[in-house]
Amino acid sequence: MSFVRIQNLTKRFSEVLAVDRLSLEIREGEFFTLLGSSGCGKTTTLRMVGGLEKPDAGEINLGERCIVSQTRGVFVKPERRDMGMVFQSYALWPHMTVFENVAYPLKLRRMKGPVVREKTRAALELVGLAGLEERPSTALSGGQQQRVALARALVFSPRVLLLDEPLSNLDAKLREEMRRELKALQRRVGVTVLFVTHDQMEALSLSDRIAIMNHGRLEQVGAPEEVYYQPATAFARDFLGKVFALSGKIVDANDEECKVQLRDLAAAPFCVRTSRPAGENAWTPGKEVMVAIRPEQIALSSSTTGGKRNVLPVTLQASHFLGDRYEYTVAIGSESRVLTTPASQPLKPGQKIYLELDPDAITLWPTA
Amino acid sequence: MAKNPEPLTADATVPAAHVRWRAWNGPLNGGVLLMALLIGVMGFYVLYPLILILINSFNIATIAEPPVYGVKNWIEAFSEAGILRSLWNSVRVGVVLQIVALPLGIFISWLLARTNIFFASGFEIFFWISFMMPTIATTFGWMLLLDPNTGLINTFLRDIPVLRNITFDIYSFWGIIWAHVVSNGISTKVMLMTPAFRRMDSSLEEASRMSGASTWKTMVRITVPMMTPIIIVVMLLSVIRIFSSFEVELLLGVPWGFYVYSTKIVDLARQEPPLVGHAAALGSIILLFLVAFIPLQRRLINRRQFTTVTGQFKPRIIDLGVWRYPATAFVALVVSILTVVPVLSVLGGSFMTRFGFFHLPKTWTMEYWRMALGDARLTMALQNTLIVAVSAALVGAFLFSLIAYVIVRTKLPGRAILDSICWLPSAIPGVLTGLGLLWLFLGTPVFRPFYGTIFLIVIAYILGGVTLSTQILKANFIQLGSELEEASRMSGAGFWRTYFGIVLPLMAQTMVMIGVIKFMFASQHASAIILLATSETRTLILLALDQVFAGHREVASITVVFIMTLTLGVALVARSLGLKVGLRAE
Repeated sequence: MSFVRIQNLTKRFSEVLAVDRLSLEIREGEFFTLLGSSGCGKTTTLRMVGGLEKPDAGEINLGERCIVSQTRGVFVKPERRDMGMVFQSYALWPHMTVFENVAYPLKLRRMKGPVVREKTRAALELVGLAGLEERPSTALSGGQQQRVALARALVFSPRVLLLDEPLSNLDAKLREEMRRELKALQRRVGVTVLFVTHDQMEALSLSDRIAIMNHGRLEQVGAPEEVYYQPATAFARDFLGKVFALSGKIVDANDEECKVQLRDLAAAPFCVRTSRPAGENAWTPGKEVMVAIRPEQIALSSSTTGGKRNVLPVTLQASHFLGDRYEYTVAIGSESRVLTTPASQPLKPGQKIYLELDPDAITLWPTA
Repeated sequence: MAKNPEPLTADATVPAAHVRWRAWNGPLNGGVLLMALLIGVMGFYVLYPLILILINSFNIATIAEPPVYGVKNWIEAFSEAGILRSLWNSVRVGVVLQIVALPLGIFISWLLARTNIFFASGFEIFFWISFMMPTIATTFGWMLLLDPNTGLINTFLRDIPVLRNITFDIYSFWGIIWAHVVSNGISTKVMLMTPAFRRMDSSLEEASRMSGASTWKTMVRITVPMMTPIIIVVMLLSVIRIFSSFEVELLLGVPWGFYVYSTKIVDLARQEPPLVGHAAALGSIILLFLVAFIPLQRRLINRRQFTTVTGQFKPRIIDLGVWRYPATAFVALVVSILTVVPVLSVLGGSFMTRFGFFHLPKTWTMEYWRMALGDARLTMALQNTLIVAVSAALVGAFLFSLIAYVIVRTKLPGRAILDSICWLPSAIPGVLTGLGLLWLFLGTPVFRPFYGTIFLIVIAYILGGVTLSTQILKANFIQLGSELEEASRMSGAGFWRTYFGIVLPLMAQTMVMIGVIKFMFASQHASAIILLATSETRTLILLALDQVFAGHREVASITVVFIMTLTLGVALVARSLGLKVGLRAE
C-alpha cells in the first residue's frame, strides 16, 4: 500500500522543465531517497510534496487524501499537509531560542503549555540536545543546529518527514555521525521519510529504496543493492560508484547467457548472465556491446587457476598504497585502467596478474 | 682593500637609516598635518557654530554688539509657553508619524520583497521617486487638494450630498502628519527595509509554513520579528531627525500658529526686533539631545544584524493567492498618493487659471508660465540655486571623499574624532546650522563681508548630507580593497599621487553620485539657509516658500515645478546612468 503516491508530476520554471511527468510511490514507514546531481529536479519534487511549490500538472496523494491535483484544482497549503521538513540551511529562526524554535509548531496547533513543554523536551531528548532549551538558536554549532531543525520537524509527529540535503552543510566527520544517527532515529520513530541528496554514500546507507533522477525524470527505483549492482540505465550505472567496462561483440547467445568476445584482447570469450527477454532489443550474435562491472567485484590474483571463467590476463603498471586498500594501474591491451582492491598481497609493477569477473556480477550494455 | 668594508657599511647605513626614517615618519608628519587640517576644518565648520550658539544663548546684547553675558535669555525663553509647546509639538509630530508610517512601511516592504504582487520592481522605483521628490512638492501638491476652502478634494466632497459635511483640513495636526507620511514618511522606510526583507533566507519562512503557520501568521511571527534590528534602526534614524523637520510645519503649521522646534527658532530669529538670544537658548537644548543620541546612532548603524543570509540563499517569494490583486491595488494606491497625485496637482496648479475651478470659462492658461519666465526673481533664484548646488556638489564630493579615504585607509591618529564629527550633522537640525553660521559670519569681523553673499549659502549647504556622503564613500573604499592602492605605492607613487591617480578615478562613479546627492540636497532644503539668505541670494526653494506665504499659489506651483525638475530630473538621469542614488541602511 503506497502512502505517498505521485503521478505524472510536472513542473516548469520558465523554459526549463524541472520535473517531467514523474510518478512514484512511497510506502508507509519507508526511508525513500531521491538521488541525483544538482538541477535534476529532486529538490523541486520534494518541495512540491511539501506544498512549497505548485506543480504545473500531476497529482500527489497522501494516504487516501489528494493533496495536489492540477486537473481537480486541489491544492492543500503547506501548513495543512502535516509534514515536517528539514532545510539545507536548517532555517532556524534567529530571534528565538532552541525551545521556542521547537515549540513553534506545537503552539500553532494550540496545544496547552505543559503539553508543549513536555513534547518539546521529548523531541530535544530524541535528538540528543536535552538541556539546551534556553540557548539562542544562533549560539549552536552546525551539528546542533541540524538537530534542532530535526526536532522541530518531528515534534508534532508529522505524517511525512521531508529532508532537503540536511547533511550537506556539515563537515565530513560530523556528516558520517549524523548519518548514522538519522537512520537510527528514523527506525525508532518509524516516520515515513522523503530524503533528497546528491551524495550516493548517504543515499545507499540510509535508504530503504532509492529513486535515481536525471533531467526531471526517474532513471531507476529500487533497494540500494539493486540499483547499485543491477543498474537499469546507463545513467544509473555511471552515477553510482565506479564502473569497469570493456567493449566487445556477442558471439553466442541463449536465454540465460551470452558469450562476448572482447575487442582487441586475446582472452577467451566472456560469459555473461542475462535475463533479457527475446524481442527487438534481444542480445543477438554480432551485436556490439559493453560489459560492465563494479571494480570491487573483480577478483585479483597473481596466478591463474584453471577451470575459472572470465579470466583476463593483464600487466600491472603501477601500484599505490592508499592505507586501507591498494590502487593498481593495469594495462589492458593498449589501454590503462585503475582498480582498487583491499588486497593483502602486495603486487609488483611489471608483474602479470589475472582479473576474474563473476558472470553474475557483469552487466551487459548495448554500445551507443 | 682593507679599508673598503668600513666606509661601505657606513655609507650603506646612513642612507638606509635616512630612508627608513622618511618612510616611517615623513608621510606620518604629512598625514598628521592633513588629519589636523581635516579635523580643524570640519570641527570649525560643524562644532564651532554650535558652540557659538551655546555661548550666545548667554549673550544678552544683540547680535552685532559687544557681548554682555547673563542667563536672561534662558529665563525668558522658558517662561514663555510657546517655546516649550514647540518642543512638545516636535515630539508629538515625530512620534505620531512613526506610529502611522512604520507599520505601513513594514507592510509595504514585505509586500514588495516577499510576495508575488504585480509590478513589485516598478512600485519600488515609485517609492524611490517619492523619496527623491522635494518635500515642498508633495506638501504643496496636497495643499492644493486639501485646503479647507479651495482644496480640490474638499470642493468635490461638497458636491456629494452624503459627504457634504466632511472637510479635510491640511492646516491641522493631522494634516501635518499626512504631509509627512506622503513626503518621506513611507518612502524612506520602504527604501531602507525592502532590500533587507529581500535578503532574508526564504527557507526561514518556509520552515514556518511547514510547521503549520499560514502566510499571515508567518509574517507576523517570523518575518517581522526577524527584521526587528533593521526596523529599530530605521525607526531611530527617523526619531533622531524629529527636531530637523521644517518645511512641512512651515507651510502647514505656521499659518494657524502651530510651531515646532525649527519653525520656532526661525520665528524668534526673524522677529522685529530679533530674539536671537531666545533662539539660541532654544537651540542649545538640542545640543543636549544630540550628545545623548549621537553615540546611540553610531552604535545602531555599526551593530551587527541577525545573520539571515545563508549560503544556499534562495529568493523565493510567497504566493498571495487571490490577495494578490487587492495587495497590488493597495500599493498602487499608495504610490499614486505619494507621487502621481501631488505631481499632477502641482502641474495642474501651474496651468489652471484658478486651481480647482474646472468650470471657469477659461480653465487652462499659459499666462502664469509666461509671467514666471519673464520674472527676474525666478531667473535669479534659478541662477542662485544652480551656483549653490553645483558648488556644493563639487566641493562636497572632493572633501568628503578625502575624509572617507583618510578614515578608512590610513592609520592616522584622530580618525575616530573625524568620524564622530561626520556623524554629527545628520542629527543637527538645519536651522541650527544656519543660526550658528549666522553668528559665525556676523560675529567674526574677518567673515562679516561674506554675509549677504552666495558664498555663505554654499558653505551652509556643503554641510548638508555629510553623514550620508561619508558613509557611502567609506563603504565604497572598504569594498574597493587596498591592493590596488598598495600596488600604486609599491610602484613608487606617494600618497597624493595614489589618491589622485588611482583612488579618485576608481571612485569616479561614487563621486558623481555624491555630487548628485549634494546637488539635490542643495536645491530642495530650506532650513539651513533660511536665516542666511537675502533677497539677492534667495534660491528657488526660498522663493517658493515666499510665494506660498504671499498667496500666489499658481506662481508658486511653477517654482515648485522647477525645483522638482532640478532634483527629480537629476536623480532620474543619474539613475539611468546606473548610479544607485539613494539610501542604504548598512
